[in-house]
Amino acid sequence: MTGRPDAGLPRLLLVECPGLEVPDGASRAGGDGETDGAGGDERLRRFGRVVEALSSVCPWVDAVRPGVCTLPIKGPTRYFGTEEAVLAQVTETVAAALDAVPAVAPGTPGGTSGARGASGHTSGTPGGTSGARGASGPTSGEAAGVRLGVAEGVFAAALAARAGLVVPVGETAGFLAPWPVDVLGDPELADVLVRLGLSTLGRFAAVPAADVLARFGASGVRGHRIARGLEGELPGYRVAGTGARLVAVLGRALALQDRQPGFWGGASAADERAGEVLVALQRRLGVEAVMVPVLEGGRGPADRCRLVPWSPPAAAREPKTARRRSPPEPPWPGRLPPPAPARVTAGAPPVEMADGAGAPVGVTARGLLTGAPVRLSVAGDRWTPVTAWSAPWPVEERWWSRARRRVARLQVLTADGTGWLLVTERGRWRVEAVYD
Amino acid sequence: MFATPRIGALARRVRPTAASRTRLLPALPPIAALLPEGGLRRGTVVRCTGSGAPSLAMAVAAGPSAAGSWCGTVGLDELGVLAAAGYGLDLERLVVVRAAPAEWAVAASVLLDGVDLVVLAPPRHVRHAAAQTLAARARDRGAVVLVVGERPGFPAELELAVEAARWYGLAEGAGRLQSRRVTVVACGRGSAVRPVRQELWLPAATGKVAAA
Repeated sequence: MTGRPDAGLPRLLLVECPGLEVPDGASRAGGDGETDGAGGDERLRRFGRVVEALSSVCPWVDAVRPGVCTLPIKGPTRYFGTEEAVLAQVTETVAAALDAVPAVAPGTPGGTSGARGASGHTSGTPGGTSGARGASGPTSGEAAGVRLGVAEGVFAAALAARAGLVVPVGETAGFLAPWPVDVLGDPELADVLVRLGLSTLGRFAAVPAADVLARFGASGVRGHRIARGLEGELPGYRVAGTGARLVAVLGRALALQDRQPGFWGGASAADERAGEVLVALQRRLGVEAVMVPVLEGGRGPADRCRLVPWSPPAAAREPKTARRRSPPEPPWPGRLPPPAPARVTAGAPPVEMADGAGAPVGVTARGLLTGAPVRLSVAGDRWTPVTAWSAPWPVEERWWSRARRRVARLQVLTADGTGWLLVTERGRWRVEAVYD
Repeated sequence: MFATPRIGALARRVRPTAASRTRLLPALPPIAALLPEGGLRRGTVVRCTGSGAPSLAMAVAAGPSAAGSWCGTVGLDELGVLAAAGYGLDLERLVVVRAAPAEWAVAASVLLDGVDLVVLAPPRHVRHAAAQTLAARARDRGAVVLVVGERPGFPAELELAVEAARWYGLAEGAGRLQSRRVTVVACGRGSAVRPVRQELWLPAATGKVAAA
């Protein structure tokens, strides 16, 4: 858990067109593309032209949200020779696509000024990332505001684009480290972290993963994984259905084409066939919509298995089997015994649990329940009678010596036959998984 | 809607897969006892319902997966991958697609082009037309769709319903969840018109599916 595992995040070139963002309200309003005004449509159309033009550089352009798209840079680099050559090509392509269409009332490039003072101007390179090169954006006309960034994962690439940087291969973690924690987009979490002296992503990333859930909750886990470079995208950053809306406003399918024959050397026919559709799916839904499991060591179901974006076998140098098989099996005290739960809840919904007198059930300093649970309510739903429960087992032994932090897991069975895996967090219960 | 299998047409259309070109995907023995032909017929839709439906779907998918088929899920973003591995799915050939609610049909449809087995938890109110299209696609590609949950709008050749489920191993303040005994009733069309009842451990203490 401490050694940084191969995160498998794809190296992405992110293109941000600040003038072509569609205001948040409009972009969230739904996937039909009819909710925002004509200006929004026009901006979308212009952005669609950019995406369309970029598909000549690389067939796998991913429209993340209006105004922002990414493309995996590895493939085009093989094709064009160097990353610089790809950047030059992209710069030129974007400029040409934007100049080809008459500009509408320019949208204000608002709200995204870099937290570290990085501006859209590519010369203002922020310190802290020694090896990072400048990525110059297009220079002509309206396209001057366009920002490019290269890094592993969407989140890091977006930060890189703010500063106009190319983060060298494998140095994304180092690049992320000096950024303040408020770039994680959760002010409440950032506030807590700063008060604990964990003011940067690097400091936050150094907190052992096992401590994060208990101290910072589900949102903390998410942010921590991003800070460690294990996850590549903030929830809510991607606007689902952007690709479909582009197709709708352009009135034609985006001409995306396959161009890499023999990409899947050595794979079986089934693997090859699956690989083709996974590429198609990533192109359609986004890189991080197509996930494959990786087993790791850890105590809880979420620690022991994580999902990473699928990447073509040719992109992953070492054989796939080395990465995805053989989970590390050191002794994990407090590990959950089998069988594993069929559903691992994403949002960690809150749980109320009461004893016969109606008092909330908690865990004592000695690791015992304060009372026998009689009923349980998940996320404010109606109460369900509890029929059986386990003794709580500690998540992290050393915390039991300090009376304040009591972190434990508990299995509970309710009258409807459902088995629950609960976890306490500062006296509050949450659902971690369901034996569905 | 239920057509007799057009084997000739299928064989010409379906591209070769690692598993086999036969019309049946293999099932683990406890599951095979529920299936009218002892395996999953390619090109069909199977619905898993009742409490524990996701587990049942994993147990059903384990057979083809172990035999080399790729398995993709749509709408099961919270899939317990450890449990899936426990049931016998090969994680090397498992892909979890996280599609927005509006895009589940597209995701499933694209997936059907490349994998033998799609485990699908569609939105509660599936439009009949979308379901029909997907079923036709599965038939066309010779793949199997496992629909998880009550989705009456989804035409299925076979329904596997968990009718009774009970966990063992957990007491009042002691023990742990160890195994779950379920009754599964299989019922469908054609050769499956007479319901078949089977007692299973889903999972057994080993994490696998076993006959009870």
